[in-house]
Amino acid sequence: MKFRKFLGLRLLTWALTILIGVTFVFFIPRMFPSDPVESMIGQIQSRSGQMDPAQMEAMRAQLRVQFGLDGSLIEQYGSFLWNGLLHFDFGPSLMSFPTPAGEIIATYLPYTLILCLTSTFLAWLIGNLIGLRAGFQKNKRSSKIMESVAICIYPIPYFIVALVLQIVFAFVLGWFPLITTINQSGGTWEFLSSLLWASILPAISLLLIGTGWWIISMKSLSSSTAEEDFVMFARLRGLPEKSISNRYVLRNSIIPQITALGMSLGGVFGGSIMTEIMFGYPGVGMLIQKAIMASDYNMILGCITISIVAISTATLIVDLINPFIDPRIRYS
Amino acid sequence: MQKSFKKMTAILLAVLLVVTCFAACTPTTPAESTSTPESTADAPVESTPEEPAESTPEEAPTGDGEMTDVGTPRAETLIVETQTPTDVPGQFNSYMQGTQMGFGIHQLMSAMMWEMDTVAAEQFGEVADGMPESNADFTEHMVKIRQGIKWSDGEDLNAEDVAFTFNMIMSNPGISQCDYYNQTFESVEVADDYTVKIVTKEAFPRLAQTFGVTIWGNDLRIVPEHIYSQQADTSTFKDENPVVAGPYTVKDYDPLGMWILYELREDWDASTLGVVTGKQPKAKYVWFRALGDDNTRQMALINNEVDILCEVTPEILEVMVAQNPNIAAWYKDFPYATSDDPCSKGISFQMAKAPFDNADFRWGITLAMNFDEISMSIFDGAGRASPFPILTATGAMMEAYYEPLVPWLEEFTLDLGDGTTVAPFDPGYGQRMADALTAQGRDIPTDEASLLDMFGIGCWKYDPEAAEKLLIKGGLEKRDDGWYFEGNPFTFNMTYLADTEVQAGRGLQAAYDQLKEFGLNVNLASESSATWDTNAAIGNYEVAGYWPTGGITKDLYSVIRGWDADLIVPLGERGSGQASRWNNAEATAIIKELSTISPEDDRAYELGMDFMKVAIADMPFIGFHSGVKYVPTNSTYWTNYPNADNPYNGPWWWWSCFKYIMVDFTPVA
Repeated sequence: MKFRKFLGLRLLTWALTILIGVTFVFFIPRMFPSDPVESMIGQIQSRSGQMDPAQMEAMRAQLRVQFGLDGSLIEQYGSFLWNGLLHFDFGPSLMSFPTPAGEIIATYLPYTLILCLTSTFLAWLIGNLIGLRAGFQKNKRSSKIMESVAICIYPIPYFIVALVLQIVFAFVLGWFPLITTINQSGGTWEFLSSLLWASILPAISLLLIGTGWWIISMKSLSSSTAEEDFVMFARLRGLPEKSISNRYVLRNSIIPQITALGMSLGGVFGGSIMTEIMFGYPGVGMLIQKAIMASDYNMILGCITISIVAISTATLIVDLINPFIDPRIRYS
Repeated sequence: MQKSFKKMTAILLAVLLVVTCFAACTPTTPAESTSTPESTADAPVESTPEEPAESTPEEAPTGDGEMTDVGTPRAETLIVETQTPTDVPGQFNSYMQGTQMGFGIHQLMSAMMWEMDTVAAEQFGEVADGMPESNADFTEHMVKIRQGIKWSDGEDLNAEDVAFTFNMIMSNPGISQCDYYNQTFESVEVADDYTVKIVTKEAFPRLAQTFGVTIWGNDLRIVPEHIYSQQADTSTFKDENPVVAGPYTVKDYDPLGMWILYELREDWDASTLGVVTGKQPKAKYVWFRALGDDNTRQMALINNEVDILCEVTPEILEVMVAQNPNIAAWYKDFPYATSDDPCSKGISFQMAKAPFDNADFRWGITLAMNFDEISMSIFDGAGRASPFPILTATGAMMEAYYEPLVPWLEEFTLDLGDGTTVAPFDPGYGQRMADALTAQGRDIPTDEASLLDMFGIGCWKYDPEAAEKLLIKGGLEKRDDGWYFEGNPFTFNMTYLADTEVQAGRGLQAAYDQLKEFGLNVNLASESSATWDTNAAIGNYEVAGYWPTGGITKDLYSVIRGWDADLIVPLGERGSGQASRWNNAEATAIIKELSTISPEDDRAYELGMDFMKVAIADMPFIGFHSGVKYVPTNSTYWTNYPNADNPYNGPWWWWSCFKYIMVDFTPVA
């Protein structure tokens, strides 16, 4: 009964979070001092010089109707809730009209997920294992080395790490491609190998930065857990160190890390703009950036709605899982 | 012990980082690469490009046996950068919005009615056989279609295709030009197999200028009637396997939108390029690819993974030239860049607001700035001065307008309001820049013609005393604590586009420094492209780095038509042209008269000259330099690119006339 109440309350919070989030995302771009029609006309003018004034006026009126910007805000919002939120149909991309925004997002999202989910999960796994060791056996030399490496790498701005990797391994040594080229016209093996080949450097860059944070946070959690009375009691009972580390320290330290992982995994749906730009890797991050620049409301809504739903859902799942991992957490 | 261990680890990591950075900065040779004309219809062979003998690449690999990442022989593949990836890969229909035409589509495949000879500053027929023949009142136009052009599926390109394209646009509201075409055309009909009769609703003397290429391209691209007429809606037809009239067809493309590979048609001689020039492009494959950020672009060119880039900054160019001897731009040495891009950069005023609506104020601002210093701040002194409002000092415009107006400029004076005058023209700019740059160790030519080409006819004088008088005449008041307007301290905002257009941004920053030094209270802000275009349309700026400029054909109508005062709308409303809201009756009268006469008429040129005199006297836009473009090429695999020594065309890789440029590229192997 308690669980049902807890579940109901969490589901309600989940739905409300999404509704409030997407409502903000719907209205905020429309309050920008920008306009998709003017952006499109501006682009045409900037590349082809001065446009005939009559042509500009006619095009402006026509685009406004085509883009569906002539209806009231409330009408547009109602249509978005029904089509966008409930059916994931965000309408046409304004910068690539009339191609549906959802179709474009669906093309790029898998690549974002492959890269970001893998690197996030690996960084979490490696970071926590190292962090646990560094925190639990903090006087060991190897623990200190790992901690030092993490402390040194973590504060380096991401773009420097990515640039150094790119310069050394792609430009100077030529071990990896400088520019992402994924072979989709060959067979499955060609596709997978070219994808893997193109993803290694971007993934390493994300892994390096991500791992540093997980090491530091896990080290902090596990070292304080290792000082707890129950750990001392376990030692006095003569339990092996490995058992204390895995059954006592890890289980007690991992809870906040799982919550944080859930949030991180949800966040990967937003892509990694910096990685995509620096490595020329296809993904949702660049789509969002371009959509904001072009005031492509539908594309912005599509990308960010997916991200909001993903983060909210990930949080919901973590909240539901936590009581099973940690019996101290009760539904109340 | 613990402390020293941590210290040692930190030092080791720091050393590792420095070593990797150092390794990264070590020059590489192109051999380390691991990467798997303008000839017009009327005068197609007048400007014969030189053969590549003079520009033998250094340490050039032959490319024999080397393959690209898309499986083509490197020696047969020309690799060209595209500025942005496409979000709609596989979409080649130019009438479907979002199609990224600059991705090689309009450079290699599109069929334009009229193309542009950027050197002669003249249009020529591509699909059209010559210029349109119009009746006396310019409402009926007979357009001959060039015979011999075939679509890539073997069908003839004829009048049916041309008439169909016009009527398709007019009948499909999903095509963004639909309304405009319906406003303009009464009918477009086939007169015979190779003639189209176009009837306009009003006098339309500039059919070729409006519906042909003058700069980047044109939205009118002829489509194959036998393909497009079969489609239910041509505005949503993706055209994934395009049948084209250009010399190349799509061989493959990246479903993620990062590249498109084109292959030369076997019947290239029946393509538009083949029929117009008779020349065969040497590149069997052209691979257009998006390269990512500036760092990746640089590294790719240095590593010979791309042959031509679109545009870089001078700083990036100098780094690349230092690392790879096969990389060059328009000039081999300083100033590197070409100054023939027809969009001059400078300062735009919002003339619906006071005191920006006052010509004396605008001239005061002009004379308050030291252009020598501005020029040094933008691109270290590189670039041709383009001081005229609106009209860019391209090579052709220099000859047609700038140089002929020098005697008038030397006589031209401004009334300072206190009984004195000033002659604002300063012809000494070129020589001063040459001296200053020579003193810096730059190799600057000394002959007059080279200096004129490099630095232009001159600039506006730096005269703070005259500037002060003009600002006072323009309504400002100078007090001990600064400038006042209408009794209040005078402050104004300057804005520039942050994301792109380095030249315009640096120009505004330099102007800001100059005006601050002069004593004006100015705020400087950058804007993202998201708000930049909207602010232009509604007039939400005071002084900004917009570039409402141009100048490529002798007839100025297409450049100046947007300055018609009748187009002015109140601030906050979206206008069509006239973002600056320049209300000048004399200029408007010239534009209106020009709109009714043929561009070939001698009167058109006279009116162009008159317009420039009116514009200079009223100064609605302060020009700094013409469009200065650093467009690098790599001659490891391909050579005979156009450059200052061999200027058979401009380096406009992103324009639709690219096919007329690349046909003269020669493989090194």
